[in-house]
Amino acid sequence: MNITSRIAGVAAAAALTAAFASAPALAYDGTNCKEPGVCWEAKPGYPEKSKIAGSKYDPKHDPKQVSKQSDSIKQMEERNKKRADNFSKTGRFQYDVSKISD
Amino acid sequence: MTKLRTSVSAFTLTAAAAIGVAGAALPAFANDKLVELSNSEENWPMTGKTYKAQNYSKATQINAENVKTLKPAWAFSTGVLHGHEGTPLVIGDKMYVHGAFPNPTFALDLNEPGKILWQHKPKQAPTARAVACCDVVNRGLAYWPGDGKTPSLILKTQLDGHIVAVNADTGAEFWKMENSDIKVGSTLTIAPYVIKDTVLVGSSGAELGVRGYVTAYDVKTGAQKWRAYATGPDEELKLAKDFNMANKHYGQFNLGTSKTWEGDAWKIGGGTNWGWYAFDPDTNLFYYGSGNPAPWNETMRPGDNKWTMTIWGRDIDTGEAKFGYQKTPHDEWDYAGVNVMMLSEQKDKQGKLRKLLTHPDRNGIVYTLDRTDGTLVSADKLDDTVNWVKQVDLKTGVPIRDPEFATRMDHKATEICPSAMGYHNQGHDSYDPEKQRFYMGINHICMDWEPFMLPYRAGQFFVGATLWMYPGPKGDRQNYEGLGQIKSYDAINNKYDWEKMERFSVWGGTLATAGNLVFYGTLDGFIKARDTRTGDLLWKYRLPSGVIGHPMTYTHKGVQYVAIYYGVGGWPGVGLVFDLNDPTAGLGAVGAFKNLANYTQMGGGVQVFSLNGKNPYDDVNVGEWTGKGG
Repeated sequence: MNITSRIAGVAAAAALTAAFASAPALAYDGTNCKEPGVCWEAKPGYPEKSKIAGSKYDPKHDPKQVSKQSDSIKQMEERNKKRADNFSKTGRFQYDVSKISD
Repeated sequence: MTKLRTSVSAFTLTAAAAIGVAGAALPAFANDKLVELSNSEENWPMTGKTYKAQNYSKATQINAENVKTLKPAWAFSTGVLHGHEGTPLVIGDKMYVHGAFPNPTFALDLNEPGKILWQHKPKQAPTARAVACCDVVNRGLAYWPGDGKTPSLILKTQLDGHIVAVNADTGAEFWKMENSDIKVGSTLTIAPYVIKDTVLVGSSGAELGVRGYVTAYDVKTGAQKWRAYATGPDEELKLAKDFNMANKHYGQFNLGTSKTWEGDAWKIGGGTNWGWYAFDPDTNLFYYGSGNPAPWNETMRPGDNKWTMTIWGRDIDTGEAKFGYQKTPHDEWDYAGVNVMMLSEQKDKQGKLRKLLTHPDRNGIVYTLDRTDGTLVSADKLDDTVNWVKQVDLKTGVPIRDPEFATRMDHKATEICPSAMGYHNQGHDSYDPEKQRFYMGINHICMDWEPFMLPYRAGQFFVGATLWMYPGPKGDRQNYEGLGQIKSYDAINNKYDWEKMERFSVWGGTLATAGNLVFYGTLDGFIKARDTRTGDLLWKYRLPSGVIGHPMTYTHKGVQYVAIYYGVGGWPGVGLVFDLNDPTAGLGAVGAFKNLANYTQMGGGVQVFSLNGKNPYDDVNVGEWTGKGG
């Protein structure tokens, strides 16, 4: 085997290895499960779940923004409770909580 | 008024007598008057007609032989434009009609439909419109029959996030609660659902990163009974101790947070439920699907994103989930899994009689599960052109994905079928229990998809994808027609008896009757009737506007009527209703439906039909003003 063919052989093997290495990731087909219900895999060239932070795909969520929904729901639930309690107590429904005496 | 009062009390007496009979036959469930009301062909008291949500009527007065003589009987305009989804309700002598934003409700007298008995017209913040993803629609009303102490109630949702109970006799507000906050992008379009003395309310807003939840309220007081989320810790998901015990491979505990999400992404993870419900009094479970994860950009939320895209069976009294099957783990296509649940009892291939639920999903698969424990029975493609998934492995429950049709950052995926609009969307379909066939209104739309990065700001859209949609392979891609299908499906033998193409999506759903008929409305403005045995088109009528609701039927004073809303809109109508031209606008729907405006314009109302148009005004003196002299 001369040098040229050896190089070609190595190159082919490298290409094969590369193809093989990327094959499982390329084939994110949902069937390789780490545990029941956990079957997600990163696609080739894309960060693992734990590595998305700091990558170019980092969503950079602002915790203040992210917590706004739960704050809003908590407040709505408190207002609704006042309304329902007052309705049960008085038999008259009052939506405006500022008009409900404690 | 005297006449009305008499007829109402007569109806109440009849209902009470019927309940008495039912009480003897069904001791375990005697408290639910709705069950009895729904079994009468004179009523249509809930979405889906009965708790089985079959949209099926035993009435045969209108049938395949005489449907040619079906003619308009009377009509009513709601006075609002935009998409009119769902159906009216009929209970006794009254029809209850709802409209798009600002969500008016009307009670009509069936003996004299020109008379509006009462109307409820909410004052809502106009800003609610700005955070509605897909037109300012609403899917309908619910009814609670009263208990002697508390009057009968109509339950309604408003786009601005309120759930309201109004007196069914007077229209006066009885109670009103805040379920969703438009300031964080959370709205309401779902119809409320009454089970026993509880009213269920879903949620909307996954396109604005809203974390989904379903809430149960005491129908008599509006007090919150429980609230269950689609993502997050197990206690907020409200999982029963034996959650998925019959199918552990679906996944069980501690999956709603870091195991299937990165960091706190689950807090803005979507999974809202804005579709339909069904209920089984024997299992005490109600069934529904949670929607898509947020954002649409899949690269920003690695993980299976549980428990979005899940078929749930939850106990109505506690809210606890007995089972949850995730159809589309790590969604990459906005296949919001909220579609209709239809219950049936059929023998499986082994001849075993099973209690089933059947659910045609956005993702192009129609799922049939054992509704007692969530076990998969079948999962068939809605059309052979579905390509993102090769098949669903019934043993493992996982969809075997085709990576060629996946989506990801820095890549424009093409020719994905179905599109984000799904091969099936919000339409409420029907099931004929005699023939054991489902009649499904189907979309035939595919897409190209390219995601982009974007920040989350509460109250702003959080989509992160550009879409191009067009007819599927069986449609006409040059002329943008052939975007819909209607099919008769056998869930046990995994086959379609017949399939018919439609110019546009069959968006609103179907109604089946024992008269061998399936009725449905079309986006281009027709109500049609096909023979359930062959799919042959037997009758159609040209309506004022396109249809995105489904037909219903009721018998009043011996006459069978078919009613349907007209008023085009919803996601397929966004280009038309908001006057958009960019094909990628309206989340990609504008391009797909660019031809719709050549067939219809906006509207809003109900059209009612009967054989030869027989109606209360056949006596021309009915409803006339007679003056002081009488």
